[in-house]
Amino acid sequence: MTATRNPTDWRSDAMRRRIARRYAAERRFKLAGLLAVLLSAAFLAFLLVTMMGNGLRGFTRTEIAVKVDFPASPLLLDPNAITDQALANANLPMVTGEVVKKALGADAEEWVSPTAWTALRDAIKADPKILSRTETVRLPASTAIDLAAKGKGSSEAEAAVDRLNKAGVLSTGFNMGFLTASDGTDPTQVGIWGAFKGSLLTMLVTLALSFPVGVATAVYLEEYARKNWMTDIIEVSINNLAAVPSIIFGLLGLSIFLNVLHLPRSASLVGGMTLALMTMPVIVIAGRNAIKSVPPSIRDAALGIGASPVQVVFHHVLPLALPGILTGTIIGMARALGETAPLLMIGMRAFIATPPGGIVDPATVLPVQIFLWSDEVSKGFVEKTSAAIIVLLIFLLAMNGLAIYLRNKFERRW
Amino acid sequence: MKRIALLAATTAAALTLAGCGQQSGGAAGGTRDQIRAVGSSTVYPFATAIAEMFVQGNAGMKSPIIESTGTGGGMKLFCAGVGAQHPDIADASRRMKKKEYEDCQKNGVKDIVEIQIGVDGLAFAESNKGPGFKLTPKIVYEALAANPYGKGPNKAQTWKDVDPSLPATAISVFGPPSTSGTRDSLAELILTKGCETDPAMEALKKKSEDEFKATCTRIREDGKYVDSGENDNLIVQKLAANPNALGVFGFSYLEENKDTLKDVPINGVEASYETVSTGTYPGARPLYIYVKKAHMQAIPGLQAYLNTFAANWDPNGALTKRGMVAAPEAVRKASAEAVKSLPVLDGSQLK
Repeated sequence: MTATRNPTDWRSDAMRRRIARRYAAERRFKLAGLLAVLLSAAFLAFLLVTMMGNGLRGFTRTEIAVKVDFPASPLLLDPNAITDQALANANLPMVTGEVVKKALGADAEEWVSPTAWTALRDAIKADPKILSRTETVRLPASTAIDLAAKGKGSSEAEAAVDRLNKAGVLSTGFNMGFLTASDGTDPTQVGIWGAFKGSLLTMLVTLALSFPVGVATAVYLEEYARKNWMTDIIEVSINNLAAVPSIIFGLLGLSIFLNVLHLPRSASLVGGMTLALMTMPVIVIAGRNAIKSVPPSIRDAALGIGASPVQVVFHHVLPLALPGILTGTIIGMARALGETAPLLMIGMRAFIATPPGGIVDPATVLPVQIFLWSDEVSKGFVEKTSAAIIVLLIFLLAMNGLAIYLRNKFERRW
Repeated sequence: MKRIALLAATTAAALTLAGCGQQSGGAAGGTRDQIRAVGSSTVYPFATAIAEMFVQGNAGMKSPIIESTGTGGGMKLFCAGVGAQHPDIADASRRMKKKEYEDCQKNGVKDIVEIQIGVDGLAFAESNKGPGFKLTPKIVYEALAANPYGKGPNKAQTWKDVDPSLPATAISVFGPPSTSGTRDSLAELILTKGCETDPAMEALKKKSEDEFKATCTRIREDGKYVDSGENDNLIVQKLAANPNALGVFGFSYLEENKDTLKDVPINGVEASYETVSTGTYPGARPLYIYVKKAHMQAIPGLQAYLNTFAANWDPNGALTKRGMVAAPEAVRKASAEAVKSLPVLDGSQLK
């Protein structure tokens, strides 16, 4: 049998067409992938640009320099006996109004923030001697002036800004108060510190509860539990738990932590515990997968040279599984950080102007603060909301950055 | 190995920290050094403004915690009991209900002080280019009810179908969703009033309270009434684009948008500061705060907080600058007296 096989004629028309089709299919596939990446990048860029565009203005504030002649002002204060209560009783809001009118004209009272008097109060508190001389104090501008100075105001306010600019008293600076103050009712005075601290404490509680419990569960299920119908049920339950909508956890927290255990309402302790319930299943699932991927040869080798099962787990399996566990933890924590719904149920949707001192103090968290501000009527809150979102994103980035650092530090290759 | 130990130590430290906080706050069940208020989202901006002024005027006081839970949810929390874990104040955009009062009594909240802080109005508005509607509760009820007077589904398509004096434009009303307290006010102040004009409804009320409520307050769902979420800006835009539509929202919002909207009088009464304040406007509703007398001594600053309210609810006070309508003088006087002498609410007056 002499079956001679013709060599493929790569130059024939049919073959060329076929090859061209293959290359075209490859190009199409590459293009589709590229488009997908570009699309998601465009969405991200759009989000960041709008956030930054609105939010960066939230970090600045407009101030009006006002010359205050303290001795001539209707202020009855003894420079030698400045106490908080004396300042509270001194009718500073009225005095501030008078002072501003005298310095800038009769209609100027509307130009400074309704809480501008606190700037005067702080100036007196910092240096009581100021009461015997004339001093220039920078007062925060009202929302209308602030928006106009940033180019988004009404025509009336813009006329006022022109006048102030001519007088050379208007200045825009970094709003330190936004990072150090807490919630308020006047957008020129609000800050993010209270909510930030609340988020920090809540995350701490969540991590302290969910990480040890989650890792211990994962280790037990992978290394110790016998494979029978009970572990199957547990496994299915944990997988289901990871998919439960977060509001359900809020209801659970409300009925158990608040109504049965009588833990304090609105506290970051309860918030953290509720979020820990939500985060734990994610850690368990990620932890089990990470532990599963540790090669059996490592375990066998350790056992072979006489290590006890506990030693095997703690000396060998866990360190090798840690990068994977950490990834799961961070995914869970990031979800918990951005969560609002369960926290509404346990009373964290509240006006809290004093930053929490500990985990049992009433607190609110960044996403809830954003939610509260987005509901406010005053236009000044729009940029504050965006600014708060930027703070939340930076918090998230810092957390992820820490996770990547830890993961790379612990990662081991074999 | 060392790394694991380090990690374990960090976790342990975090846990200890958590534990410490728990201990230091162990007294949380016993006493509390800041005021807690819960309740209406309508009262929330006023309560927070007062909280801010209270802190500024009383050095060293912690800021009150104001939760916006809605009036009903707030009453539930308020009536759960006496003690530091329960709120001191309930903010309400309507009067306490008899049922809520009984619930309070059952849980040991015996002495409740009722203070009216001001008034809010439910305003009807149309675009400046609108035809100039003149409505009565009866017309509104017949135009919006799902089942007017229990006589079958609402067939009215144009305002003329409801009342011959009105133009033959299609019925289209933008208003609050059913979760809103403003919707409750719409049902209570306008729809129920319109419904009660039919004597047959009085008889129905005696026969079955539930059936009466369903007939009188259920709003049609065939697109004539449009839920516009909680976003009032959206209603304003929709009204501007559609001059034949009506919008329903809080009075302070109408005040703010006088340049694009105009008021629709109810029973010939325009919603204005005066008519809402005196209650001659049918859509006016009082705003209350309820205080537990048992907490007056235990919670520092509670009296001062109430005093701050009293000092700012005048017609040119700080609260009216934020959009609240001041109560008439007699009511303000009575409320100021209530802040001073703290009379206990008599449950038999409630409905």
